[in-house]
Formats: sequence, C-alpha cells, structure tokens
Amino acid sequence: MDEKTLDDIISQYDAPSGRLLGILGEIQNRERYIPRELLEMLSAKLKIPLSHLYSLVTFYSFFSLQPVGDHRVTVCMGTACHVKGAAAILTTLEQLLCLPEGVTEETRSPVTTEDNAFTLEIARCFGACSIAPVLRVDNHLYGYATPDGLPAILEEYGWRKHED
Amino acid sequence: MKIKSYAGFINRQCVGLQKLKPDIPRITVGLATCGAAVGGTVIFERLKRSIEEQGLDISLIPTGCIGYCREEPIVTITHPGKPLVLLHRVCEDDTDEILRAVASGSVPFDKALCRIEAWDHLMGCTVKYGTGFDQIPLYDEIPFFGRQHKVILRDAGLINPEDVDEFLAVGGYSAAYLALTEMRPNQVLDEVERSGLRGRGGAGFPAGLKWRITKEKKSDKKYIICNADEGDPGAYMNRNEMESDPHMLIEGMILGAYAIGVEEGLIYIRAEYPLAIKRLTCALEQARKSGILGTNIFGSGFSFDIQIATGAGAFVCGESTALIASIEGRTGRPHPRPPRLTDAGLWGKPTDLNNVETWCNVPVIIKNGVDWYTEIGAENNTGTKVFSLVGDVERVGLVEVPLGTSINTIVFDVGNGGAEGKPVKAVQTGGPSGGCIPVRLFDTTVDFESLNAIGSIMGSGGIVVMDEDTNMVDIARYFISFATGESCGKCIPCREGLKHTLLLLNRILAGKGTETDLVTLQDLSETIVATSLCGLGQTAPNPVLTTLAYFREEYDALVKS
Amino acid sequence: MTDEEVCGTKGALNQVTVTINGREYSAEEGEILLGVAIRENVEIPHLCYEASLSPSGACRLCMVGVRKKGKTEMTTSCTLRVTEGLDVVTETPEILRHRKMLLELYLAEAPKSEVIKSLAARYGVTKTRFFKKAEPADPLGNKCVLCGLCVRVCNEIMGGGVISFVNRGPYTVVATPFFGENPICLGCGACAQVCPTHAIEIENPGDERIMTSWGKTRVKLRQCPVCGKYYAPDILAETIYAKITPPLSQQIQDMCPDCRRKYLAKQEVLVKSGDFSGGNNHV
Ligand SMILES: Cc1cc2nc3c(=O)[nH]c(=O)nc-3n(C[C@H](O)[C@H](O)[C@H](O)COP(=O)(O)O)c2cc1C
Ligand code: SF4
Ligand code: FES
Ligand code: FES
Repeated sequence: MDEKTLDDIISQYDAPSGRLLGILGEIQNRERYIPRELLEMLSAKLKIPLSHLYSLVTFYSFFSLQPVGDHRVTVCMGTACHVKGAAAILTTLEQLLCLPEGVTEETRSPVTTEDNAFTLEIARCFGACSIAPVLRVDNHLYGYATPDGLPAILEEYGWRKHED
Repeated sequence: MKIKSYAGFINRQCVGLQKLKPDIPRITVGLATCGAAVGGTVIFERLKRSIEEQGLDISLIPTGCIGYCREEPIVTITHPGKPLVLLHRVCEDDTDEILRAVASGSVPFDKALCRIEAWDHLMGCTVKYGTGFDQIPLYDEIPFFGRQHKVILRDAGLINPEDVDEFLAVGGYSAAYLALTEMRPNQVLDEVERSGLRGRGGAGFPAGLKWRITKEKKSDKKYIICNADEGDPGAYMNRNEMESDPHMLIEGMILGAYAIGVEEGLIYIRAEYPLAIKRLTCALEQARKSGILGTNIFGSGFSFDIQIATGAGAFVCGESTALIASIEGRTGRPHPRPPRLTDAGLWGKPTDLNNVETWCNVPVIIKNGVDWYTEIGAENNTGTKVFSLVGDVERVGLVEVPLGTSINTIVFDVGNGGAEGKPVKAVQTGGPSGGCIPVRLFDTTVDFESLNAIGSIMGSGGIVVMDEDTNMVDIARYFISFATGESCGKCIPCREGLKHTLLLLNRILAGKGTETDLVTLQDLSETIVATSLCGLGQTAPNPVLTTLAYFREEYDALVKS
Repeated sequence: MTDEEVCGTKGALNQVTVTINGREYSAEEGEILLGVAIRENVEIPHLCYEASLSPSGACRLCMVGVRKKGKTEMTTSCTLRVTEGLDVVTETPEILRHRKMLLELYLAEAPKSEVIKSLAARYGVTKTRFFKKAEPADPLGNKCVLCGLCVRVCNEIMGGGVISFVNRGPYTVVATPFFGENPICLGCGACAQVCPTHAIEIENPGDERIMTSWGKTRVKLRQCPVCGKYYAPDILAETIYAKITPPLSQQIQDMCPDCRRKYLAKQEVLVKSGDFSGGNNHV
C-alpha cells in the first residue's frame, strides 16, 4: 500500500467515532496483515504515538502483525462448534497442513505453513452455530464440517496430499 | 424519493406490497449467513441463471432466515392467490425441478415443509397470500414453529432485507411515522417504560428507565448506541435480526432517539459479521434516501442519523465501558463504574446503550400499545426472547418464545430433544458468563430471575444443548479457556485467576488433580467473581461453579482415578 | 470533561463526614476514599493508585466494604468518591479471604518482587499455590504487576506515549512498540519512580541513559559545562526548557542543578554588592 492509498483510507473515516479501528481494519483487509511501516506512517499522519497503535493491534485479535499465507483457514472454536467436535477439525487441519499439533490453540495466534500457502487460526464464533462445526477459508464458510471432508475443502485452494 | 407526507408513506407501502405479492410467481431463497453457507448462494445463482436463460416471468428475491436453520437451505414459492410454500433442505440439483413446477403453476411437493396462507406482521398489516395446496401442512402444524411466538422474527425470512419497500409493505416504519407525527417524545418514553421492556443484552435492566436517565441528563450532546457485538459463542440471534430485518433495528433506534432527544446514533458491530454490516449499511443508505433518516425525518422536523462502527475481535468489547473505549479508538479495557454511560459515555457525553434485540422490541410496543405487549411473557418479564438453540439438539435453529417459557418446552417441544435421539444431559445458557443447567432443572422458566437463581444467566440468549456423551469438566475447561483468551488483562483476578483456573482444570482432566485442587478451584472462582473489575471476570467462573454444584461426581471421578 | 462533571459535584466543595471502621473523619465531598484513608493513616493495601493520575481500579487490593441498608458491598476504594454519611469497613472476613487469594496470585505473577513478598507477608501469605511465573528474559525481571502506573504517568503527565500495554489477557505486558528502542523517550524516569514493585530498570553509564526495560532505549545525557558531570537527558532538558517563558539564558541552561545554584547564589551576591554587569534580567 502506498502513501496515497493510506491517505485515501484515512479520509474515508472523517467521523471520530470508530475511526481508528476502522482505518486499521481497512489496512488489515487490504494487506491481510498490518505492516510495520504502515503503522509508523499512520502514527506520523494522525499524530498518535506508535505505542498507542501497537497496543491496539496487539489487543484486538482481528489484526495480525505477521504476513499471512495465500489462504486463511479459520476454525470456529465457539461453544456450539466445540460441542459438535471443533477440536477434531482443528487437529486434523494441523495434521493436513503439517503444523505442530496443538500449536494453534496454544499460541492463539495465526500459524502459517512453511510454503506460505495456508494460515491456520481460530475464531470465537461466526454466528453460524446452527451448521456447526464451521470453518472459513478466506471469505467462504463451510458448515457441518467433518475431519474426513477437510482434504476436499483444502483441495479447492490448491492443497495436495503429501507423499511421504 | 423522500417520504414527506402520509400519502407518500402509503404510496411506498403499495410499491412494497406489489413486490411482496407480485402478479407473477415469487421465489425467495434464505440468504442469511447460515443459509448462504450451506448452499443458499449456489441455489440462488443457479435459479437466477436459469430464469434468465429460459426467460421465465418469475421474481427471484433474497431473504433472511426464518429460523429453522436445521432445514436450510430454505426456498419459498408464492403463486398469486396461493399460499406461500416453504421448501426445505433444498439442494443445487433441485433448482430445475423447482422452476419446472413453478412454471406450471405448482410447487415441488416432496420438498415442501409447510404453507402459510396469511401472515400477521404485527405492525397493523396482515399479508394474505391465498389458499390451496392443502396436502402441504400448515405452518402452525410444524412442531418447531407451532410452539413459537414470533414478534421480533415476524419478518425474518419473508421479506427482502435489502429493500426498504418490502419492510414498509409489512407495516415497517409505521410506528416511527406515528410517533414522529402524532406523539410527543415523552409519550413514547412512557409507553416503553410501561411496557416493562428489559434489556436483552444480558442484565435485563429496564430499557425505559435507562432512556429516562439519559434524557434527564443535561448536556449539549447525547448519543444512543446499539450493542451489536454479540460476543457469546453459540448465540447468533442478533446476527439474524440484522441480516433478516435490518430496518426493524433502525426503526427502534429512531423511536429511542426521538424519545430521548438525540441526533446521533451508532451501531457497534463485530467484524465477524460482514453480511450484517453489508445489509445494515445498505438499509441505512435506503432509509436516508427515503427521508427516514437524516434531517427532517418524514417532514416532522426531527433529525437523526446512525453511523456504523466495527469491532476488531474482542469479546470484552461487548461490555459497556470497553465498547466506548473501542469506538473512541482505544483498547477495550473496561473502566470502573460509576461514571456510568448515562453520565459520561461516548466522548464523555450521556449515552444510552442497548442491545440489538432491545431496540427491535420498540416498534411493536409503540404500534400495538402497552396492553398488547404486556399480554406476552410473564410478570416482570414481558415480551418474547429469541434464543439460539444449538449443540446436540435435534432441531437446531432460532426459537422465539414468550419470556417465562420453560427450558423443557424449548429443548423438548420445540427442539425435539437430543440429536439422533440421544438423551440430553444439560444446557448451557448465557455464553461464557452463564452456567450449565442439568436436565433435572429443566422445568425452570427462562426469565431473568429464575436463571439467576440457579446460577446461570439469560445472557444474550444462546442455549447450547449437551447430550450424555458430554464431559462437563471439559465444558468448564472450554469456557475458562475462552474467557482467559478474551480477558483484557487489566485486573489480576481475571488475568491471572482465570489462567490458574485453566491450569487447575487441565491438571484435573489429565487425572493428576487432587481433592485439594477442587477446594482451590472453588475458592479461586469465588474470589474472581467477587473482585473482578468488569462483568467478564465477575461471571467467567460461572461454568466452573455450576458444574461443581450440579456435576460434582464428574470432578470426583477424575480426582479419584 | 472534568472530574467534577463525572462525579457531579459542581461548585464549591463541601466538607462531609465519612465513617471508616467505625471512626468518623472529615473529608471533601467527591474526594477519593483511598486518598482519605492514606491521609488519615488507615491501612488499605493498594498497588495501582496515585493521587495525581486517573484512577484505574486494576489491582483490586484496595477493596473495602460499603455499608448500606444493613448490607456490605465490596468495592474498590480508589474509585469510591466520598459522600456525606459514607460508611466503610476495610477488613471483613470476606475481604480478607479475597485479599489473601489476590496476594497469592500476585506472588505467582511477580515472584521476584520483594515488595510483593512483604505485602503478602503482612496478610499472612507466605506461599502461593499457583504456578510461579519464571521468564528468564523478562525485561521487567518477573516483578511487574501490571498496575499501569508507568503507562499512565508516561501518557498523562509526561505526554510521552513511549510505553503502552501490549497484548491482552494473561499475555499482557508493558512495553515499547515492537519491544524495541523508542526514540521519543525523554528518559525522564518517571515510570521507574512511580513503579510500586521497582520493576523498571534504568542504567546511567557515562554519557547516556539506558532504559533497560524499555527495549534498551538510549537517551543522550547533557554534560555540565562547569563540572563536567552528565546530569540529565538532553531531550528532556530541551522539552522542559522549551516550556519555560521567558527562556533561560544559554549560559545557565546547560549547567547541572548544582552548578546553577552555585552560580545564581554568586550572582545574587554581586547584585547586592551593586555590580550589575554579570546579571541577567531573565532569571
Ligand atoms: C464481557 C461482556 C460482554 C458483553 N457482551 C455483550 C454483547 O455482545 N451484546 C450485548 O448486547 N451486551 C453485551 N454485554 C452487556 C452490555 O454491557 C450491556 O449491558 C448491554 O449492551 C446493555 O443493553 P441492554 O440494556 O439493552 O441489555 C456484555 C457485557 C459484558 C460484561
Ligand atoms: S474482569 Fe477481566 S475483562 Fe474485565 S477488566 Fe478485569 S481483566 Fe479486564
Ligand atoms: S459456535 Fe461456531 S459458529 Fe457459533
Ligand atoms: S488501588 Fe484500587 S484497584 Fe488498585
């Protein structure tokens, strides 16, 4: 994102209410993470201490300071999904994506595969509890997920089974 | 075109009715988040393409969700003069058959769930569809629907949420029109106060009283805010209310703004709800264009507008002071109250904060009057409440019943008990702040006081059913893990206390716990409840405390083995 | 918005009588109860209160019982504003029980802090049942209790915004952005002064100050042209001098406080003896 784009985003948020999170959300949506340079640029433009912005992006889980993979796989860990077996979905995804087991829950932050193809993370609830367990790949929701059905979903995004 | 007179208002109603009951067949597809995800979008696109290719004279409309989520994707068909027919569990390959049937003046009977001959939208408007197709059961004969009392969900799944005309057609904005042109602000406030409406966001604080306190504060500026953060995992009624009937929320807020005397409103909505944000944005835009928001609404001289502010993934931001901090661009760390929001809220100004569903209750109260409203529900708990019935239950979906309905009715009569016939063990109400209620207490009625009395809370209305396979200690662990991750970290009982609660539960679940650990668990939980700064910490141990009280044997078994 | 608007005490402040542990004290209406207690030497443990900073209510140790209509309700005394007839007790079995539990949690969170250990010991808590934090690389030496005083003093008084809370929940820490050096730090050290557990480390080796806990931020120190001592951060001096009107003369501006005092004293002698040549109108 260049400086001009950032200026445009800033000018879209003229009302003070909801401004800062709105701007940061826009950056997150476009870049899929919050690059440090942009945060510094924003701090200078809005005359807000960098520490304040850093505090925000580390507090709200919607923001990520690390670049994410090409596809973002988000598993709902809400109550309805938990009751319906979300843990097995997460573990299976970790296995399929060759990530250390349990890493996503433990760190509570997104984990990216070595080839940068996928980022796995957890969410609280998409409000789609009726079709639990639910996962989202990029902007697409999948309901009634089962461990066996996961390879087929991942394949839609270019994943291939590893030959060991 | 802006509505400036009664004639203009009626005119737009007619336009809407023409869309709702066109002279040609109308097909709708339930496209709330849940319906869209299980195939609704694909079905809609397929139907659209085929209708275009075949040059059929059919009106195809997206709607929200009628609440029977288990049966989605849901498609409805209305032939002029015939009942509205609900099709369920439709899949992509059914579209050709649907179109064939519709083109020949019929419906695919094997897919039909029920029919609706007339529908009372409660706002002085009953839509009469027609009769026929008698072999399909009536709406009321379907057990899932028959036991419900739809007030808030009256339009959901039947009207196009992206078209203000359809909302107007079913009587929408008529309460706002009435109030702004014929009532004084105090009259509106009185009505809401006398209706006994209590906040639907969890605590059940009387809405009218909060409005009055805000109104009586002297200030050059005041705000009203809608809390659409819906953080409780397992609860999604607010999402559906906004996705299926966004104008209902806007109308409620207009009435509140008028009663309190406010010109600026805000909807704070979680970022996880992109479709609700999209539909609300669209609805706000349409309302402005129609003169329903902005300056001089309905030519009445009253001005009011609403802005959307989005969250960024923090459960604690549903808490009132954290929500304000978040809107002001700060981290969502709560502040001790007082000062309350009504004293010093957004930008230090008096602010009234209400939940989505609280606002949604207002139009029917103003339109139909206090006597009508107080007939519904129980003593001190008037009106209905929408619950999301999810988890191990047969009929998953959104259930709207009068307050004071028993858990038994909700789980067994409406929900038909455990999924796949398994016995139900417990329900969890109120999200991470709530408790686990064993099946032997299921004749408890669902109202603010009764749920508190057994250690749980109403919360925003999530009811998660758990069957006999559920390990209750694991459920307690699950909620504590959730709360630990969502704690803002400001005060020690919540920040450190929950973390150590989690470690204790992990140890117990691993079979390494002792009797002493159970004592520590209880003591620590009590301290967290008593000393935490905000509602998150004060209620987070509830799942532990209730499982310790009602399912003690499961803990004992784990520490003994 | 002023504090007065918040607590609704407009106009002249009234004297009121409050009861603490059965004894009556007089106080100003709207005063913070904990402030009254400190003034009157009534013991209430606290970690996150400082009269000149906005109340936070984070440490939860200062909870007292407010007696009203036969009931006692627990609330934090650092956010409790005094009104006529307020009746509080500082220790009930319930308060003590919770206080002890909180202190156990503090012992686990800041196991290296002597201040916490002795505070806990005062209430008979010498051990914790909870897993103690042991972070070898913790820039705050496993002593921070997240009272937030440093963050507040930096933001509210110094206007610095050098440090802030980072992360949330149990992962919360106080740090500079990206845990690195923060060039806007004035090196004033107010954070370290206000820290109740002495967790913040600052070193002054030679001509610079190192804010060890704050990403090892380096701040140049100003050298006194007279005695040669390094006495204060350069940028802090600049910031302060920029705010003084009329400005100080260059000559005395660079001096360390000791030398300046000596110099001024000497000038005064000269002035009194009628020699105006070395005087400076601005001082
Ligand atoms: C941790 C926490 C989370 C909350 N989340 C929500 C929420 O998601 N939606 C909501 O309406 N109220 C939530 N509340 C309650 C609000 O603080 C507030 O009481 C409510 O919005 C007031 O609206 P009402 O009076 O209409 O219920 C939450 C409270 C706490 C302590
Ligand atoms: S109770 Fe939890 S969420 Fe609330 S202020 Fe304390 S740490 Fe933050
Ligand atoms: S619990 Fe998973 S979508 Fe709500
Ligand atoms: S001094 Fe009151 S909470 Fe810390």
